[in-house]
Amino acid sequence: MNPDMNLDPTGDDAIDPYSPELGSIATENGDKENVTKTGTTTVGLATEEGVVIATDRRASLGGRFVSNKNVVKVDQIHPTAAMTLVGSVGGAQSFIRTLRSEASLYETRRDEPMSINALATLAGNFARGGPFFAIHPILGGVDEEGSHVYTIDPAGGVMEDDYAVTGSGMQLAYGTLEGEYNPELSTEEARELATRAVQAASERDTGSGNGLVIAEITDEGVEIEEFDDLAEAL
Amino acid sequence: MQGNQQQQAYDRGITIFSPDGRLYQVEYAREAVKRGSASVGVRTEDGVVLAADRQARSDLIERDSIEKTHKIDDHIAIASAGHVADARKLIDFARRRAQVNRLRYDEPMGVEPLTKAITDTIQDYTQTGGARPFGVSLIVGGMENGEPRLFETDPSGTPYEWSALAVGGGREDIQEYFEDNYEEGLTLEQGVGLALEGLAEPDDDGLDPDGVDLQTVDEDGVLTVGQDVIEEHLDERDLLGGDDE
Repeated sequence: MNPDMNLDPTGDDAIDPYSPELGSIATENGDKENVTKTGTTTVGLATEEGVVIATDRRASLGGRFVSNKNVVKVDQIHPTAAMTLVGSVGGAQSFIRTLRSEASLYETRRDEPMSINALATLAGNFARGGPFFAIHPILGGVDEEGSHVYTIDPAGGVMEDDYAVTGSGMQLAYGTLEGEYNPELSTEEARELATRAVQAASERDTGSGNGLVIAEITDEGVEIEEFDDLAEAL
Repeated sequence: MQGNQQQQAYDRGITIFSPDGRLYQVEYAREAVKRGSASVGVRTEDGVVLAADRQARSDLIERDSIEKTHKIDDHIAIASAGHVADARKLIDFARRRAQVNRLRYDEPMGVEPLTKAITDTIQDYTQTGGARPFGVSLIVGGMENGEPRLFETDPSGTPYEWSALAVGGGREDIQEYFEDNYEEGLTLEQGVGLALEGLAEPDDDGLDPDGVDLQTVDEDGVLTVGQDVIEEHLDERDLLGGDDE
């Protein structure tokens, strides 16, 4: 125990800002060749009413073999926030589980949910301090200040924007969004635009496809819907 | 003889309950707090006031070196009563914890979570072999989401929230004064007045402005109130004591 960092006589109360309070993060020293990747196109749009997130459903090995056709790549991590799985599936899943339990612990202790900025900061710290190298999620959420869309990059970079895309189909999806997004979009319009962006990527990116998942986040909560056919979502 | 030896065992061992369920070392730590000079806290509409009596045992001691109120972060301060050295360890713990919160969440530490982090640490020292309880009570005051909050920590590691409180020597008299005179909706200025009246309550001789350490915390941050302002407040209330009289 370093007495300068810690007052606990049992030596276990020092909090490292860059790692989870609960458990530790497993390192990823396995067979990197055969790691399942999401490939993926995940889109987040902020509107005045909330945040719309759309993702495809494909998991692949290096973008050349489809290893799963119905992955739900967006998950609730907080009463009014959701995160997408992008990159190594194992890394992204444990990242999401870790953030969900940290957010829950924070809320239980303080009797108020984390702000989305705090959640994004914590996610960035974990990405920076932990071994989740191969992830690039979008965090969408609503708090007292309004709607937020953040990207968290593998080195811990945290950037907020009105709309964002991550994953192997990002250039195609961004092409659809540029010039079409505006902050006054209704939820319906945002759903349509996000769907078209994922659709464009699914047509041309080998790492994206097999349907669509849409998450709608408002101050009431998170709703996630799955679609086999993109046309159903429109 | 046997009985006497057992009594000594639970008297000395901090982690040992007495047969009637008491932890004597924790109770002795509370006594240590009573031996310290008083500190008070008052919560007002706009912020909190922390004030402490810093008695000097000699005229040659530099008063500023007797620190009883401490800034923790831009929005939180702590006043202490009891063993100064024990208080300092907890003050430094609180300062680090407040910064860890900013690093981890990019937001200021709440007053309630900070108080609970401190009391959890204090509690560790009542249940760990070889440790000694902290002989200090703290008053933790600050702003949380725009609201003034005021807490007490005691040597057992229990947190309490207050509108106005005193810890340390003369606690009963001061607390009774606050109970009779505290009202909701005080301005920060009125809170400073009430804190000084409380601090002066146990002693008929009034207060020497030099012997009062006073900080306020409001939306603008932590402010150490100067001797001249304290003197004005004391003079207005006819509580001015000190060396000249």
